[in-house]
Amino acid sequence: MELISDRHPLVVVVGSGGVGKTTLAASMGVLSARAGRDTLVMTFDPSLRLKDALGVGEEAKLHEVPVPLDAPGRLHASLLDARQTFDRLIERYAQEPEASRRILENRFYQQLSGTLSGILEYMAVERLFEVEAEGRYSQVILDTPPTRQALDFLEAPSRIIGFLESGAIRVALKPWFDEEGRLKAASRFGPLGRQAERFLDDVVGLDLLRDMAEFFQAFAPLYEGFRERAQAVEQLLRSPKTRFVLVSGPGEERIPDTLFFARRLEQAGFHLGPILVNRVHPHYLAENVPSGSGDPCRPTGWELLSWLGERDRKGLVELTKLLGREQPLIEIPLLPEEPTDLASLESLGKTVQERLAGWERYVSRT
Amino acid sequence: MSILNNLARRQLVVVTGKGGVGKTTVSATLGRALAAAGRRTLIVEVDPRENLHQMFALPPSGGAIVEAGPRVWVQNLKPRQVLDEIVRERLPLEMLTRRVLDSSIYQHFTATAPGLKEVAILGHAWRLLNGLGAMGAPALDTIVLDAPATGHGVSLLAAPLLVAEVIRRGPFAEMGGELARFVSDPERCGIVVVTQAEEMPVQEAIELREALRERIRRDPEALVVNGLYPPAPSDQGQDDALVSLWRRRRKLNEDEMARLIEHWEGPRVELPLLAMDRGPHLIRALQSCLEPGRGAWS
Repeated sequence: MELISDRHPLVVVVGSGGVGKTTLAASMGVLSARAGRDTLVMTFDPSLRLKDALGVGEEAKLHEVPVPLDAPGRLHASLLDARQTFDRLIERYAQEPEASRRILENRFYQQLSGTLSGILEYMAVERLFEVEAEGRYSQVILDTPPTRQALDFLEAPSRIIGFLESGAIRVALKPWFDEEGRLKAASRFGPLGRQAERFLDDVVGLDLLRDMAEFFQAFAPLYEGFRERAQAVEQLLRSPKTRFVLVSGPGEERIPDTLFFARRLEQAGFHLGPILVNRVHPHYLAENVPSGSGDPCRPTGWELLSWLGERDRKGLVELTKLLGREQPLIEIPLLPEEPTDLASLESLGKTVQERLAGWERYVSRT
Repeated sequence: MSILNNLARRQLVVVTGKGGVGKTTVSATLGRALAAAGRRTLIVEVDPRENLHQMFALPPSGGAIVEAGPRVWVQNLKPRQVLDEIVRERLPLEMLTRRVLDSSIYQHFTATAPGLKEVAILGHAWRLLNGLGAMGAPALDTIVLDAPATGHGVSLLAAPLLVAEVIRRGPFAEMGGELARFVSDPERCGIVVVTQAEEMPVQEAIELREALRERIRRDPEALVVNGLYPPAPSDQGQDDALVSLWRRRRKLNEDEMARLIEHWEGPRVELPLLAMDRGPHLIRALQSCLEPGRGAWS
């Protein structure tokens, strides 16, 4: 099994926050360009060091930036920024400048675009659609946002569509307010309607409601396009050509997360490739370890690293048992330092590639 | 004055920081330590995947306030329940309540109004502290709030202002105003930032402090640097693989700690990385590391 291959022009890297997804996505990008493919790495929030390693800065939020890598394929990187993508999208798809101005200046939109959960994920989907439609790359590697529950990313398109589709749009088309800007009395609240409505009005506050209604009205013409693109991307994500790589942290504590993810991906019909257990501590034999300090607040490095090595080993054994032998499970050792340049990114990518080949040999032998 | 004494004067202690740095562990440790110092303490976690109960070897509570030891309780909070509770209190009839809660306007409002969920979380703490909680809720001196990860941590503290400004009237707006005064009052509300001496967490901690200054004009009461490697032995030129890894991890901690200190004045607690699984043992050991003169490496 190749980590990067022509059979999978789109690779989506998923996993919980803080496990090293972004670094691994970048190292796969380097590997792909080395193999002669024009490659784009789309990422969210890389560390300063990783940005330095890739040689990209803030300008990558505006457009794709070439990475100075001397390789047969071109490597580009882009940083995703929810607000900028959202603004640009509205400017592009609004039918006339007046409509886009109305949305961009709407108070509700200004708060919404920063706070609505799933916006960042949805915007990743939008960018993915644009990139795919342009077809300038033979390989796209998408790093997913640092949510605690990374599956949020996959559910974002349907959630946003659901949000737009449910009452919101209907309400926009059938406004809550009459011409004088007062909340319309509606009969659907039944006999207690008056009281309920007065209360609702009181709870919700008319100002915000007015802003919300105005936003959805302004947004309504864009809505069809949004829905079509979200559906197209949903299809793309479920295509057998799209491969998900799940990155996990080591240790038994992470097992429930990793299992949960793997099962959810498969149940939802996505194609899961290898699971990478990242930053695994080396396993040391117990007899090499000098005795401990006896103070729980001050363990020695020997105690600590032996314990971490043993913890990670147990975790891997348990995870292998739970996932079954069909599932490629690759252990990536903890590096003394995080990659700081393209060469160390490439070397990390090669390690993953070699270990994947090693896993295959092991499985075919036994 | 020790950090614990400092925090023991507050009603609410908000524990915030990047995901994966050990916020829940630190919240549980602080909560247990405050309870040991005589404060009746509730630790609140806001995460659909419950973790807090493990720290006290309890089964998942499903949202209830559960006793976890002498003077210490834990709770996994669902923000939506709090909002619905406020509606229930204001409406006299169950049937009427149901109509409001089921109405699409209310549903969309609560799902999309910016900052409302965060206000529900803080509002829950405020109500409990003021004896306005549900029947049977314990009387409390302090609540330790294990806040959602960084970006959300600032949004949490800035939400009351936002809600008061955006919603403007009605019970949620009133609550926003009350809470904005509460979180901006350093006498009542303390902020603890948790980080690790590694690149990304340090970067986020520095940014978080700037964001707190900018958005709510507050400095955190304390910075907790969690998960530090012990100092490595002096270099004898013949390191085996373990010592070499130890040395390099420690070096990374020291470099990042230096960067952190350069950008961050103010009280700091350093907690060691311990060879223990998450649970009561770990919390007890970390609590002992909080005592003055213990656990500080540098």
